[in-house]
Amino acid sequence: MSYRIGIDVGGTFTDFALLDGHEVLLEKVSSTPEDNSQAVMAGLEKLAQARGISLGELLADAEAIVHGTTVADNALIQMKGPVTGLLTTAGFRDELELRRGYKEDIWDVRLEPPPAIAPRRRRLTVPERIRADGSIHTPLDEAAARRAIEGLGRQGVESIAISLLFAFVNPVHEKRLGELVQEILPGVAISLSHRVLPRAPEFERTSTTVVNAFVGPGVSGYLDRLVERLSGAGYARDLLVMQSSGGVMTREYLRDMPIRILASGPAGGVIGGARVGAAKSEEDLLCVDMGGTSYDVSVVMGGQAPANAGWNWHHRYLVAVPMIQVETLGAGGGSICHVHHGALEVGPESAGAEPGPICYGRGGQQPTVTDAILILGLLSPDSEFAGGAFSLKREGVDAAFERELAGPLSCSVEEAAFDCWRLVNANMTQAVRRTTAGRGIDPRSLSLLAYGGNGPVFAAIQAEDLGIECVLIPRTSPAFSALGMLAASPTIDEERSYLVSAQEAEISRISALWQELEARALGYFLDAGFPKEEVALRFQMNLRYPGQNWSLSVEVATKGGESAAGFFDAGAMEKTIHRFHELHEEEYGYNRQQESPEITGVRLVSRTSIPEPVFAGGFSAEPRQAEPQGSRRANLGRGFEETPIYRGPDLAPGDRVTAPGIIEETFTTIVVYPGWEARVDDAGDYRLMRAP
Amino acid sequence: MSYEINRRLVRPRQALETSAEIDSVTAGIIRGAFETICFETATHLGRAASSAIINQSNERNASIMDGHGRLAGLSVGIPQLLFISPLAVRWGLEHFKIDDWGPGDVFVGNDPDHGGGHLPDYNVYAPCFDADGKLLAIQALQAHQGDTGGKDPGGFSVDATDIYQEGMAIPRLKLVHRGQARHDALEMLVRNNRFPSFSGDIAAMVSGAQRGAQLLDELATKWGADQVRAAINWNIRETERRFREEVSCWPDGCYEADVWIDHDTVGNEDVRVHVACTVAGDALTVDLTGSDDRPELVCVWNTFSNSRGYAMAQLVSMVDPSIIKNEGLFDAVEIILPEGTIVQPPPDKPAALGAFHPACEIGEAICIALSQILPRRSSPQVYKLGMPNAVIGVDANGQMWMDQGVDVRASDASATEGIDGWGSMCSGLGNLVLAQAEDAESRFPVLNLSREMTTDTGGAGRWRGQPGTRNVKQVLEPTTAVAWMVSKKHPLRGLRGGDDAGPYSNFFEVGSENEYEIENSVQAQLPADAVIAYQYGGGAGFEDALLRDPEAVREDVLDEYVSVEAARARYGVVLHGSVEAYDIELDLEATRRLREELRAARESAP
Repeated sequence: MSYRIGIDVGGTFTDFALLDGHEVLLEKVSSTPEDNSQAVMAGLEKLAQARGISLGELLADAEAIVHGTTVADNALIQMKGPVTGLLTTAGFRDELELRRGYKEDIWDVRLEPPPAIAPRRRRLTVPERIRADGSIHTPLDEAAARRAIEGLGRQGVESIAISLLFAFVNPVHEKRLGELVQEILPGVAISLSHRVLPRAPEFERTSTTVVNAFVGPGVSGYLDRLVERLSGAGYARDLLVMQSSGGVMTREYLRDMPIRILASGPAGGVIGGARVGAAKSEEDLLCVDMGGTSYDVSVVMGGQAPANAGWNWHHRYLVAVPMIQVETLGAGGGSICHVHHGALEVGPESAGAEPGPICYGRGGQQPTVTDAILILGLLSPDSEFAGGAFSLKREGVDAAFERELAGPLSCSVEEAAFDCWRLVNANMTQAVRRTTAGRGIDPRSLSLLAYGGNGPVFAAIQAEDLGIECVLIPRTSPAFSALGMLAASPTIDEERSYLVSAQEAEISRISALWQELEARALGYFLDAGFPKEEVALRFQMNLRYPGQNWSLSVEVATKGGESAAGFFDAGAMEKTIHRFHELHEEEYGYNRQQESPEITGVRLVSRTSIPEPVFAGGFSAEPRQAEPQGSRRANLGRGFEETPIYRGPDLAPGDRVTAPGIIEETFTTIVVYPGWEARVDDAGDYRLMRAP
Repeated sequence: MSYEINRRLVRPRQALETSAEIDSVTAGIIRGAFETICFETATHLGRAASSAIINQSNERNASIMDGHGRLAGLSVGIPQLLFISPLAVRWGLEHFKIDDWGPGDVFVGNDPDHGGGHLPDYNVYAPCFDADGKLLAIQALQAHQGDTGGKDPGGFSVDATDIYQEGMAIPRLKLVHRGQARHDALEMLVRNNRFPSFSGDIAAMVSGAQRGAQLLDELATKWGADQVRAAINWNIRETERRFREEVSCWPDGCYEADVWIDHDTVGNEDVRVHVACTVAGDALTVDLTGSDDRPELVCVWNTFSNSRGYAMAQLVSMVDPSIIKNEGLFDAVEIILPEGTIVQPPPDKPAALGAFHPACEIGEAICIALSQILPRRSSPQVYKLGMPNAVIGVDANGQMWMDQGVDVRASDASATEGIDGWGSMCSGLGNLVLAQAEDAESRFPVLNLSREMTTDTGGAGRWRGQPGTRNVKQVLEPTTAVAWMVSKKHPLRGLRGGDDAGPYSNFFEVGSENEYEIENSVQAQLPADAVIAYQYGGGAGFEDALLRDPEAVREDVLDEYVSVEAARARYGVVLHGSVEAYDIELDLEATRRLREELRAARESAP
């Protein structure tokens, strides 16, 4: 028996998806923000129990563990990270602060600056200069370098980014500075720009390197601790980590660039969403993930979730690594409901996992969305919550709603709860409209794929607001990002800069750069136990016309196995230039065939495939009206009424649930609002449609 | 006569005829789609263009006009320039019949006397027709060209006395007829431009406008042309309503300000911009009567279309930023630009440099005037540099190249109530992506030596202006350099009692025995390895510096935004220790005494 396990650490819960052949087992435990690896181990323990085996047996049989985490995002959101400094080329101290002139809102003069990761006093410069061709214009002034490093040391710096001009062409000075830091400030973390993001220009590379320095120690410490715990408990393989690009790779690969795990949880959900949608013939999707703290919106068109590199602003910092586009709103089950200047507001503050909503009974005192939907009867103290991890408690909830909301608003507790429900709905609808209208997409043309613990509670009413006709709720929705990670392929996507006219390019130099990328990628794949003959290598070249700033990546060849890079010759160069002219015509409607383009660099996308979950759909089972297990008083938007309750695990393909109805799944609750009905498809997933 | 044309072009235009009813949500979705189309069109141009000023600096703007030539939507670009295309498009629209407009057409125009901004700013536009063959909307793209075929390379002549010296003026010209490129017209444009990259730029503008028109087509197919028209009407009305609603909350009165430019390019001093902003109920009038009209002034003439755009760019920064930008803004404000002054020049005046000054002073004057009643949103949306130091050379193949100097820098990033100046520039220029050394040096024979902020060049104030940077560049081959210097005698003004920003200064052949300061304008020959150094002015301070939190001043000193000496002299803050040792301590008692002394000295001053 061999298992594959996806783990997604979120702000409130840590989700698990165990894949055993075609069978999927879900688990969910409360996150442990102080040390997230505790929750990971606790959840694995529960998975083992559920299989009736020991943790050691589970891990020994685990063929892969794929992991996504919010550790890096949280560091940026909360600005909790090491004291970070920057060493850079003399004369370029302020590039980071000047941001190439960028401001997020050109119309709002009241926009505040982002908190400085490396304020000016911790950005120190060193006389040195490499030129565009890699030659040394000014040698590194080691005495000045020592003084700068000591200056950072006096300020208690714990992590240092080193980003020098043209280091991606010639890294000799960056490497030497790194050695000096190690010598003078042993134990301080070091991020070198030519390793984190070896490409021009300086602001993008410097910012990415500084963010890497800020989030890196936390991520590395966490992953090291986790790897140690996992191997101590019997896991023999490499830990695979989800990247923001939608691919996974080994922990070792990410050692120099932990920044690549930013936004990895949402990326897992979107990749999984695209696969589920495709299996159910819905290729244009609005993916919404409502968990404990946030509401993430992304769009999949034609089954694709594109990842863009370069001008990515993430939590107000530029991060130039490839990222899947996800927009986040501070609205989740833990979002705090409060009265501000006489008006009800929901979020963006969240009660998180600890103390969590009042109804968790862990000391929470402030009303949250989860408490509101408990009052509305959409959740119940009688049913198990989070897979039986604990029951919800009504104690203290009503008193808090009276004190914080109903009193100040002069209404009843139930009315206050209903207003919270309405308001969080409207906030989410606006977030979706900003995403879709901003891209010129009519949400009515999409299907809504809802996941996250709280997504299905709101999914149908969201669809109603947005004019969407079809809602998909995978049975695995509560741990969907964790499952999605199992659908992502191990991928290494890297570039090397080589700025030269295509006419004057040295074939041998291009081959050498590809060989370097290939050897590097295959090395990581081999170390992770992936046979190199199963790695597909896509060789690409980045080209532009003289005077242009942005390049196009031209596919040169796709090869498999070792030493594939040797294929390149003058004929292949000619073909590549020809393809570039064609591609430019396709992309921009014209080309400049009479001109010789410039090469800016080479790129290699290496990918291997691993067994992935089987997603299915369809309705071949005989339709059957499902039988409720009971009923309770609940408000589904048209006042309190006695509402039938269905047990999710008892429902089978073909089953139909009519409105009003509440389906209690192991880790989530699906509300069938008036005007809708739910059907279980052949895969056991739910499709909600307008009632006939 | 351009005055008459201008009067006609800005005359208020009627709502579109439509029988469709529309709800606010649908109107919002269609408006969002407009913004997306503009975004995609501008992005297309930015990626496909050949010259750095477009593809790297984002100096390109997309907007959509409706069938009546009203501004219906725009992308995030440069506010001042986003408001310019409508008048150029309206000039074209006046010739709808005679020019035989039809689907698949693309036009270009850049003539300041026929709705244009200045010559380098080409407006390329493509109409979109509905299923009945009726004009629905026009997609426009505006972008700055590296050359205009005038007497000097680069389009900026510091001594031009008329527009013909600046280059080729195009009132309107069809480049594509029913989808077929007019190669004769395109060849003429390319022939009148010095830079080989121009052919790529104009091709990218044409294909961008075509793409925008095609996306508008798809939008009309999806929603129906009448729904789109109803949405345009709804959004323009809503913008006017919201703008007037804000104005009605302002205290009635007349608020005036004067701003001066050091000199024109030949040394005529103290060029004046005057504004009177009158608030009466929900009506706002911005009247620039009283601005300079000396006929002998050279190069400080801002075109009519630009003056209108720069005034509006400042006004929209002073109201709720969520108000949608469209024709409703112009419906809500009366802007008076007196004929024959530097804000609406006589015909044939040179226009290139006027887009820097007095264009920016129009915004600055409005900001100072309205800061009396709108402290929360007072921040001048300006760039006070004369012009960037442009460096021009010829490569080994005999082709001309130009580094236009749109380099990363801090300049004019001013404070407003509660917020210190930050980033590079004012928020309105937040989309202008500044050039990087690694790109420029891969392309041109230059070496960027430094671009760090200079301590104490930000205006002191309760809220502090961001210091300006000193950009130092070395040319590696003999080159021509063009410069124009202002804002040294009259730097950016502090607001509500804040200090002025640090002044600009500019030196050529730095460190050699030939070193000299640029006092006004210059077109200089630089030898190989010459160094030029441009000190940019900082941002303006806001309110009295003696009111600044002393702890914030200590932080400023640690970050070397402010020196220990300036902390004492300008902020009245006494500090002990050294920056080098990171042990700066605040002496609160001495600070209290010093501030009292400084206040007393001020009061006793004449």
